Amino acid sequence: MISISNIEYSYDGALKKALDGVSLEIGEGEFVAIVGHNGSGKSTLAKMLNALLLPDKGSVSVFGMDTSDEEKTLDIRKKVGIVFQNPDNQIVTTVVEEDVGFGPENLGVPTEQIIERVHSALEAVGMLEYAKHAPHMLSGGQKQRIAIAGVLAIDPDVLVFDEATAMLDPLGRKAVIEIASRLNREKGKTVVMITQYMEEVTAADRVIVMSGGKIAMEGTPEQIFRKGDELRALRLDVPVMVELRDMLVREGLMKESNVLDVSQMAEVICPLLLKN
Amino acid sequence: MLKDITLGQYVPGDSTLHRLDPRVKILLMIAYIVAVFLVKRIEVFPIVIIFTVAVTLLSRVRLSYLAKALKPMKLLLPLMFLMNLFFIKTGELIFKWWIIEVYKDGLINAVFIVLRLATLVAGTSLLTLTTTPIALTDGIEKLLSPLKIIKFPAHELAMMMTIALRFIPTLVEEADKIMKAQLARGADFESGNVIKRAKAMIPILIPLFVNSFRRADELAMAMESRCYHGGEGRTKMRVYSFKTIDLIAVIVMALLIAAVVLLNKYMPAVW
Amino acid sequence: MPIIVEKLTHKYMPNTDNEFVAVQDISLTIDDGEFFGIIGHTGSGKSTFIQHLNGLMQPTSGSVTVDGFDMSDKKQRVRGRALVGMVFQYPDYQLFDSTVLDDVSFGPKNMGLDAEEARQRSLEAMRMVGLEPEHFAEKSPFELSGGEKRRAALAGIIAMRPKYLVLDEPMAGLDPSGRREILATIDSLREELKCTVIMVSHSMEDVARAAGRIAVMNDGRLYAVGTPDEIFSKTKELISMGLDAPQTARLAQELRERGFDVPQDIYTNERFVKWLRGRVKHA
Repeated sequence: MISISNIEYSYDGALKKALDGVSLEIGEGEFVAIVGHNGSGKSTLAKMLNALLLPDKGSVSVFGMDTSDEEKTLDIRKKVGIVFQNPDNQIVTTVVEEDVGFGPENLGVPTEQIIERVHSALEAVGMLEYAKHAPHMLSGGQKQRIAIAGVLAIDPDVLVFDEATAMLDPLGRKAVIEIASRLNREKGKTVVMITQYMEEVTAADRVIVMSGGKIAMEGTPEQIFRKGDELRALRLDVPVMVELRDMLVREGLMKESNVLDVSQMAEVICPLLLKN
Repeated sequence: MLKDITLGQYVPGDSTLHRLDPRVKILLMIAYIVAVFLVKRIEVFPIVIIFTVAVTLLSRVRLSYLAKALKPMKLLLPLMFLMNLFFIKTGELIFKWWIIEVYKDGLINAVFIVLRLATLVAGTSLLTLTTTPIALTDGIEKLLSPLKIIKFPAHELAMMMTIALRFIPTLVEEADKIMKAQLARGADFESGNVIKRAKAMIPILIPLFVNSFRRADELAMAMESRCYHGGEGRTKMRVYSFKTIDLIAVIVMALLIAAVVLLNKYMPAVW
Repeated sequence: MPIIVEKLTHKYMPNTDNEFVAVQDISLTIDDGEFFGIIGHTGSGKSTFIQHLNGLMQPTSGSVTVDGFDMSDKKQRVRGRALVGMVFQYPDYQLFDSTVLDDVSFGPKNMGLDAEEARQRSLEAMRMVGLEPEHFAEKSPFELSGGEKRRAALAGIIAMRPKYLVLDEPMAGLDPSGRREILATIDSLREELKCTVIMVSHSMEDVARAAGRIAVMNDGRLYAVGTPDEIFSKTKELISMGLDAPQTARLAQELRERGFDVPQDIYTNERFVKWLRGRVKHA
């Protein structure tokens, strides 16, 4: 569905390549997480997915369309929507519902349909009651939900979250992650989640770790989080529960397992406590 | 909180005035300005005043808002009044004390000029008081769109206005934060002469500019990502239609202008 | 001498229709040498609160005293403010000069130090935050990476040698290594400068690990203040307030709800392992 083959990219005047030979396939309905330290190239990769940036070398194909084909740019952007990092810098107009309608307006969708789309997009992110509000009066988390609604109103098949949680507080972050997984599960949207928070990738089908413009590791969250030392060497971390799991295994208190979060850990600890 | 400043001065409501098509409202405001300037004789002014008061009542906007709109004029109005009062020396002398002389024409002119300015400001404020900024930009875009034939960027202009309105509160808030960050580093914005104070603004202006450029860059990317490609083939979420109420408003305005013109000519002189 | 906050209340736009009470009736004392954490979700009033500590905001009622200087008094505020260094969340709000060294020197120069003294202090501050002057002094602050900008902003405050260092979300937006490094830097600064650190953070893990005392703010009020042991024994309440608790504290709470007797002071992995080891062996 999305096929990236051996792309390279450098920003103007930069000495190092931001992307240096990245190849990646993303399948329909997948939940892919891309993690990496600051400057690892993960955000640059995100912007390749809907032709905001074009590779210097190699190619990106979205539903069979090459992103370097200018004729196809709009069609590609209809298929792949991006939610960006700073909620303030992606809201265009002064009223929430108008902003959500911005995408469909650009596509020339008839008025009655825009109103329907805006309604269901706001409903999907739980912000219907704020339809008439001014965006600048909302919290960061709420603004980011509006930004998601703005992308949903275009009805893309693929949703890319480009560090969309980085500037939010824990509540806002949780809301964005929940919306992303729900859209993936219930609406079958393909989700590409780019983040630095390791806790946020435990729900993904596949994790891609980037470093120095290259893909450094790839696998299921379980596979990736077995390599704590490798992750730390890449300026990353493992989730707290994975760290606890590894400590318990080292102490001989627990067998090797795939525990990633609190409830899974509780499931494993309970029988231990009952036995003793 | 600085971010609480209201934009424009829109007062939410559902009055007849609020419901008028913004395009019609903008045109009516222009017509109103014309009507005010058409008044040639002070005897005719009451009709404009009655009209302005009637429309204000119809808008259900509290009079205090109109007073607020007139506030910036609180120096200008008395000044204009006094200048006209003392410097026009034709007609009969009606008051004299020491070196102060007031002539009839001076008095009439002074009253006339104050009335003209006050009604202009009050009447035109009603447009921004009863129209959301977004409807206003929509209206301007629609009214200017015939000019697209001569390559006038009507859509771009409206989009720029929208984005400006959207980001003013954000930038005001940001300026406030930057100022605080520099204050915390001992910056002093209050003492010294003009040059020193202007220099003291540099640590605020540079971060503000740098951040704004980055914002502009990110916003442009976000807009492109959401399929923005200029005004061509764009539809609107909000459509405006010319309704009966708009027609009535146009007729009323036409009657006002006709009345002013006729009264200018036929009203018997009072003085 | 400590920072004493007494019955602090701050209202935005008081006596209008839009009156909003951001901070209400807060009393607490921050002692010399403490590492004091402040947690609370967005809108809990913590930003408003810390801005009172260096007089950027004045109380609507109540008082803030820094080393005996009343921050409501214009003259005393100037002297009090000199003691309190404040590092805001986004370094982009303060970096402006053409080189990192000039930017770091901005504060010292404003204090009236001569050029050479300001320079020496700035170089020292840069070293302390891990920005080697040889490499960074002549760089433009706008060329720095996110973590480096954060350090430059921190250096700009350190160079003023504050007695109290107030940090608003110093780790927000950094990658895991960047977060670890900044936290380590803050720790070493505390050692070297013997200064009091007041840190606002969303990251419960970091606050739990670093702070000696924690204040929890909720709806503009001080919900609780105490040692991490005391605070995280209230994990259930924290969660219901919409706050994050450290994950290990959540795990302990989850086990408690399943009927196991997990002690209240378990909120780090180390303590959990120790407890479980004891528990399994005893049985």
